[in-house]
Amino acid sequence: MSIHAFDDQLSELLPRLRRFALWLTRDLSSADDLVQSTMERALSTRAAKRDDGDLRAWLFRILYRQFLDARRRSQRYAWLLGRLREDDEPQWPSAERELLAQSALAAFEHLTPEQRSLLLWVTVEGLSYQEVADILEVPIGTVMSRLSRARQAMRRHGDGEQPTPSLRLLK
Amino acid sequence: MNTPPSEHDIHAYVDGRLEGAPREAVERYLARHPERAAEVRAWQHDAQRLRAAIGGTQLLPDNHALHPGVVRARRRQRRIARLSLAAAAVLCLGLGGVGGWQMRGMRSEAAVAPMADAMAAYRLVALDHAARPDVVPQRAGDMQAWLDAHFEHAARLPDLSSAGFHAVGGRLFATDQGPAAMVLYEDAAGHAISFYVRPPGPRNHLLPTGQRSDGGLMAQYWSGQGYNYAMVSRDDGADAQVAARARQQSI
Repeated sequence: MSIHAFDDQLSELLPRLRRFALWLTRDLSSADDLVQSTMERALSTRAAKRDDGDLRAWLFRILYRQFLDARRRSQRYAWLLGRLREDDEPQWPSAERELLAQSALAAFEHLTPEQRSLLLWVTVEGLSYQEVADILEVPIGTVMSRLSRARQAMRRHGDGEQPTPSLRLLK
Repeated sequence: MNTPPSEHDIHAYVDGRLEGAPREAVERYLARHPERAAEVRAWQHDAQRLRAAIGGTQLLPDNHALHPGVVRARRRQRRIARLSLAAAAVLCLGLGGVGGWQMRGMRSEAAVAPMADAMAAYRLVALDHAARPDVVPQRAGDMQAWLDAHFEHAARLPDLSSAGFHAVGGRLFATDQGPAAMVLYEDAAGHAISFYVRPPGPRNHLLPTGQRSDGGLMAQYWSGQGYNYAMVSRDDGADAQVAARARQQSI
């Protein structure tokens, strides 16, 4: 694959990567940082590693790994500082927040990053279960049980059909 | 059929990835289990809403920094910067190393000038006459015997008689490493040349052959048989040449 063709494919996938990163980090600038380091990693390891398989799944995998690493680092850092930012209010961009409020997808926000990733990969991106298993580095059976938990959590947190009051919008 | 479908089949059914017989099996099962069927329907509904809300939307403002070409260019720049940084580091290291080595040479020279004690002994005995020789030879061979009594296997005393110098006395000195000895030669004009022998040190190293001038005196030194030696003379041509020949004989 020529460099240009590869760059074109990357450009094409860029919006999806950013969207995924945004749902993962819930913060646009962290999301774009994540995407940027993913792009760098992708461009530097392409020649050595990638010739087959789904480019999208591979990129998601890089991005997700980087997210986990970054979170591990920041948790270590937070621990050093003696504070954990677990209950900080997520910094959604306003458009995303509006989207959440409108579509009654508040439940989605309450899921763990891994559950959000899982549902995005399977339902929105349409990755195969095997590809998801590869990204998470777990057996496919584990993917299935995690998917069940994610879907149940989505039900539990969601109030079904009723739209959530748009208080969140005014905040 | 009563066995519930596998988790895999249920999810595949929800995600519309199940075809044929397995799909029919799931449908049959759900038909008999309304609660499960309701859950599965809810899951399907959630999935549709998620797709509708998130899929296919592009709400994010363009970020130029993320484009592959830009990332590539930045990587290239960083690589160049890193390379030049590395080159600078190597250069600094090199300069530092050379500088450090020279500093070390300067420092050790300043700290322990080789055979400074030989020159001090010469001044004390030959110039200032502040110290008298311990032994004065009565016969040829006396000085060698005296020296051998204190230093085993040391170099032979040089014979300077061809230049008109004769041994006139010997004296022991104390050093941190043990006794040192000086044998003084004089010629008819009263010029003095000394032969000095001492244990190696400080830090126990033998000296390379070399010479050093200080305050009108010259020490020409060398090592052999486990000792350091020096011929000390006035720093003028003739006497220094005699001393140099003596060193030549002894090496």
